[in-house]
Amino acid sequence: MKKRILTLAVLVCWCAALLCGCAPSAKKAASDTGAPEIAGLTYESTMQLQYANCFQIYRYEGGYDLIAVSDGRNYLVIPEGGKTPRGADGYIILQKPLDSIYLAATSAMSLFCALDRLSRVKLSGAKQEDWYIPAAADAMAAGTLVYAGKYSEPDYELLMSSGCDLAIESTMILHTPEVQEKIEELGIPVFIDRSSYESHPLGRTEWFRLYGVLTDAEDEADALFGKQAEIVQSLSDFQNTEKTVAFFYVTNSGTVSVRKSSDYLAAMIELAGGRYIFKDLGDPTTATSGVTMTMEEFYAAARDADYLIYNAAIDNPLGTVDELLQKSSLFADFKAVKEGNVWCTGKYLYQATDVLGSMIQDIHTMLTGDGSQTELTFIHKLS
Amino acid sequence: MDLALETKDLAVGYGGRPLIREICMQIRRGEIVTLIGPNGAGKSTILKSLTKHLQTISGRVLVEGTDLRTMSCRRLAEKTAVMLTERVSPELMSCWDVVASGRYPFTGRMGRLTHADEQIVMDAMRTVNVLELAERSFAAISDGQRQRILLARAICQKPEILVLDEPTSYLDVRHKLELLGLLRTMARQKGVTVILSLHEIDLAQKVSDKILCVKGDRIAGFGEPAEIFQDARIRALYGLDAGAYDTAFGSVELPKIAGAPQAFVISGCGSGIPVFRQLQKDGIPFAAGILYENDIDCRVARSLAAETVTEKPFCPISDAALERAGQLMAGCERVIVTDFPIGPCNERIRELLRKIPDGKKA
Amino acid sequence: MPTKESDEARLRQAGRRRRARYALVFLVLLLAFCAITVLNINSGSVRISLPEIARILFRRTGDAAQVSIIWKIRLPRIFMAAILGGALALSGFLLQTFFGNPIAGPFVLGISSGAKMAVALTMIWFLERAGNASSAALIAAAFVGALLSTGFVLLLSRRVASMSVLLVGGIMIGYICSALTDFLVTFADDANIVNLHGWSLGSFSGMTWDNVAVAGAIVAVALALVFALSKPIGAYQLGEAYAQSMGVSVRRFRVLLILLSSVLSACVTAFAGPISFVGIAVPHLVKRGLHTARPLVVIPATFLGGAVFCMFCDLIARTAFAPTELNISTVSSVFGAPVVIFMMLRRSGRD
Repeated sequence: MKKRILTLAVLVCWCAALLCGCAPSAKKAASDTGAPEIAGLTYESTMQLQYANCFQIYRYEGGYDLIAVSDGRNYLVIPEGGKTPRGADGYIILQKPLDSIYLAATSAMSLFCALDRLSRVKLSGAKQEDWYIPAAADAMAAGTLVYAGKYSEPDYELLMSSGCDLAIESTMILHTPEVQEKIEELGIPVFIDRSSYESHPLGRTEWFRLYGVLTDAEDEADALFGKQAEIVQSLSDFQNTEKTVAFFYVTNSGTVSVRKSSDYLAAMIELAGGRYIFKDLGDPTTATSGVTMTMEEFYAAARDADYLIYNAAIDNPLGTVDELLQKSSLFADFKAVKEGNVWCTGKYLYQATDVLGSMIQDIHTMLTGDGSQTELTFIHKLS
Repeated sequence: MDLALETKDLAVGYGGRPLIREICMQIRRGEIVTLIGPNGAGKSTILKSLTKHLQTISGRVLVEGTDLRTMSCRRLAEKTAVMLTERVSPELMSCWDVVASGRYPFTGRMGRLTHADEQIVMDAMRTVNVLELAERSFAAISDGQRQRILLARAICQKPEILVLDEPTSYLDVRHKLELLGLLRTMARQKGVTVILSLHEIDLAQKVSDKILCVKGDRIAGFGEPAEIFQDARIRALYGLDAGAYDTAFGSVELPKIAGAPQAFVISGCGSGIPVFRQLQKDGIPFAAGILYENDIDCRVARSLAAETVTEKPFCPISDAALERAGQLMAGCERVIVTDFPIGPCNERIRELLRKIPDGKKA
Repeated sequence: MPTKESDEARLRQAGRRRRARYALVFLVLLLAFCAITVLNINSGSVRISLPEIARILFRRTGDAAQVSIIWKIRLPRIFMAAILGGALALSGFLLQTFFGNPIAGPFVLGISSGAKMAVALTMIWFLERAGNASSAALIAAAFVGALLSTGFVLLLSRRVASMSVLLVGGIMIGYICSALTDFLVTFADDANIVNLHGWSLGSFSGMTWDNVAVAGAIVAVALALVFALSKPIGAYQLGEAYAQSMGVSVRRFRVLLILLSSVLSACVTAFAGPISFVGIAVPHLVKRGLHTARPLVVIPATFLGGAVFCMFCDLIARTAFAPTELNISTVSSVFGAPVVIFMMLRRSGRD
């Protein structure tokens, strides 16, 4: 009897906790209804976005901005020297200048470097040897950028003593909610970068403008973004070559991981003038970006693909086709292998969000080139 | 009638299957009741059922008038103490700790011993003669000593009913006697009812007020030792060969050697016993005579000899006896004569002695 | 000739020696507790001088960041390590008494596997749908998962009389839960369960005062209940048969013992993940040190010993290879396993 009561009590507690976890963190969800009213602030304008749909920026008089992200988190950015307005309850307050940032979302680093705002980032979520962006690695070597633990195990004391005023995390932080809660408990606001959920590759790059707002680099952001958008626009009239491309990597257990058809990489291939080999692969509504399949399934679906691009961002880059064959001998049957059209990315892929346009250019070159160029910026041909 | 324990049509067993049924017994206060019976008969089963370690299958057990089923373990613990055959191996408990645990039903919430409790524990240990072991670790003493410690534990629980399952198994003869003597004293002086099981039936005979014979699926007998301990009943109970157990003395003998007697032993007054035993060890069938029925040689000879020629007590030796003895002697290779007194009653034995052919041994 | 008086005197003297030993062990434990607490407060990736620490602790003034570090980061962690370490040791002690087996540890009844399975389920379910989970949900899930395993074991214990069969049953339930977890992991996206492995190694990092309050409340209640059960636990040390003959209601006691030990280890698993060896090694060490198994003495000493041991392991985990933090199970195994081996050797030598 006692046991039953106890079990029941625990179940009730669990349900309560689940309900707490379900409740959205912000009280004013603004992203779809238009600029919210904030007591003490006068609405000015909304930033017009070209490709991005995972965030909105509402601009208010006096340099105040409201960044509403698609996960329901709303950040009220207060200018340097500005006061917190009356209606600030329920928003996550980011007080400028944000110059002691803990960056645990590696995809945002390239944007900071391109904006020349690396100096604002004092704490890094990756070690020196894991940064492929030279500027970041140099900063760590010079000591201006310090390793403060990875996203799941940050060094809280270092964060506190460095006077960290913003923690930029990737969506991986959602797997360790206790870390997020602890950082927030210490008074450091947490910004979750959701650029990986953008369906258009340029949508990812448009996050330049968001970080531009945060770091007072809006003009530079607009310029950089504009340049990338131009590259893509120049390809927009291009007739699709209808050549099929497969983008994948082989996991340790021998399965093949491919991107969903709704993923931005598939969109990049389309923009570059090719066709992603998989149509309607994967559930676009769920949060994951990839689908795992057996070697047989991949073989059946991608055997006739014109091009194979190996994603070395997770695995190690391949140099020769033999290395690919070592992963599975079935690859020898692939059309792309027989025709010598196997390419591989560098490890840099996920850290190169600032130049996605250039990457699309690379894929375009791969599709349309005569095959003599084997070393492009982001992909190289396997020999 | 002051019944400490009564069972009415009790059936006991494991897993709902009755091993022994229709157990009816009445045990008065201050009685010692011993369960005897062959291995596996169910003695432990009965004892465990009486102490609520095993659920009874049917029938009733009344402990001082109260039905056992309605009694909680706690109430039973205030009346009954046990000593079981299970090996106890507590780590890091001293002997004192083990004995003191017997005060459990009477100590307060936290189980701390009062001064009075400590005195009781000391007295119990002193009674069983284990006080010098008090500070030693329970794991470090011999099995026999452990047995006695567990007895002390049972005693210091100050029970009205004491249930012991084979309490003498590991004890040497001195401690066996001490333990049984102790039980007798407790029963007589303090009115403790003792129920135990023993393998040593000779001891059972000597210490008990009542005996319960356990064999088959019913009780083979319940009564006073004089009634139960008869050669035929004991033989039937344990499946013994004739003459292997002597109920008068409670002594056991190894089986007699079968066959035509090769030796003839003339003896008396106990002088023949060593000879009988030696012949039996050597495997030589023998005959003995002429022995008076009240001579101690006679009882042993009956167990060991192929044939014994006897004579009624206090009577002169008859012709028939002499005749038979002479016949047997003639058929034997050897005649052994021991040194025994010859008096007016058994004078005629000299006739037998004269008839001995050459080839004898003194 | 031994007289009554000389017997009494001898026993009294032995009692005094015993009590002196207990006092000594408690003193050592308390000193160790204080020393390790001080060491813990004093160590971290940020250097804070001792006088500063004293000022922050007693007068709550000082550099804002440093105050936060001491009060929000170091102290809750230290308290948690102490509370959960004590809980683990106590849970181990209960199970070792119950099974009469020195290898029984707090997770032998499949608790950590049940908790891991519940956490995996919650992680996958939440992150698939809502994309968001609160730490409270994960903690509650771990707790519920652990208690579900316990529930199964309790059901088993009704039908099974022998201790060793129950032990095997518990281990089997652990295996079933692990298998189910692996099954879930196979179908889940890598990203969703990437932290499951890290969770299962245990960590005290990131503890908040809320955590301390909840864990403290649960453990305090459990500790009080265990202490109140000192008497039947003592009776149980002679085995179930004798315990029953002394009036212990064995059925109810079994359930209580399993339940209490499970709540304690479920608490630890929920907040910090499974931590190995504290529950097995500490009760041994404490009992050897005290040279007795009397529950009234062993229970508080075990709790204290567990707290000290766990705080010590956490200290090492944090500082040995700073800034990288070792997993707490790694450290506790390094210190705990040799102790257990040593105990086994001594015991088998004696038997």
